[in-house]
Amino acid sequence: MRARVFVTLKQSVFDPQGTTVAEALHTLGYASVKDVRQGKYFELDIDAATVDEVNRVAKEAADKLLANPVIESYRIEVDTAQTEKVR
Amino acid sequence: MKFAIVVFPGSNCDHDAHYAAEHVLGQQAELIWHKDTSLKGADVVVLPGGFAHGDYLRTGAIARFSPIMQEVKRFADAGGPVLGICNGFQVLLEAGLLPGAMLRNDSLHFRCEHVYVKVEQTDTPFTLACSPSRPLRIPIAHGEGNYYAEPDVVARLEKNRQVVFRYVDATGQRLPDANPNGSLNNIAGICNDARNVVGLMPHPERACELAVGSADGLGMFESAVKAVSEGAFAHSR
Repeated sequence: MRARVFVTLKQSVFDPQGTTVAEALHTLGYASVKDVRQGKYFELDIDAATVDEVNRVAKEAADKLLANPVIESYRIEVDTAQTEKVR
Repeated sequence: MKFAIVVFPGSNCDHDAHYAAEHVLGQQAELIWHKDTSLKGADVVVLPGGFAHGDYLRTGAIARFSPIMQEVKRFADAGGPVLGICNGFQVLLEAGLLPGAMLRNDSLHFRCEHVYVKVEQTDTPFTLACSPSRPLRIPIAHGEGNYYAEPDVVARLEKNRQVVFRYVDATGQRLPDANPNGSLNNIAGICNDARNVVGLMPHPERACELAVGSADGLGMFESAVKAVSEGAFAHSR
């Protein structure tokens, strides 16, 4: 199964890259874009039998390595349809 | 006495630190590969600047898993003096040896220039021979030196006098314009609770001889020599 891990800076942390992207979008005329937060996206193909197990491994990976809890938060989605063939 | 300079894949200021310790100060110095598991009897450990593991994931995030880091942690826990310079500071943060984290510079620019840094605390092994009255003119070279920590952590750092270095102007004034990266409270460097682990973004090892524009960084290395020779911050092996 595949776990998707989305890592972004916490809301309380200023994101200079996101702000710059938002300004560029405004220059392009997208005035409706109010805010941009830039982050990182990870796909973890995990060999596990249950969704719970995939979630557990992905959460551990995020806590220990993928995200820095001082500045970042993360969100996990598990896709049961995806296998490692889909690349 | 002996300096150990840890070499990660991507370190690029390791030889500068080695040169400062060996040629400028006349001390023993050894480059230690990150896969080594011994600090080889060193009295002082330096984590140098550079881009360990290509800064993949986050600066310093992969370097903390290098085998030598277990030894560095043991050395630090035993009271040994550890200095993290630039990327080395980022490694210390990711390894949890110092509190906080680095964000991208608020300007989004990689800043490579000389700045003024005030030594605010002299009771660390890397500042005890430094003077707080005259700011040091030393170079920076980083894209992610925007120090961040939760407000309660920053308050604790300030209360415990753990902010060792602060960006100031040439006259020593702490002004927003003197801050090259947007770090909280103009923080350029901090130490741990026990004060034996010090990290800073500026590069003292690149400012140890007047021929390279400034010798203001030399005092930090002289401090380490003095600290070890006087038995201050001696670690138990």
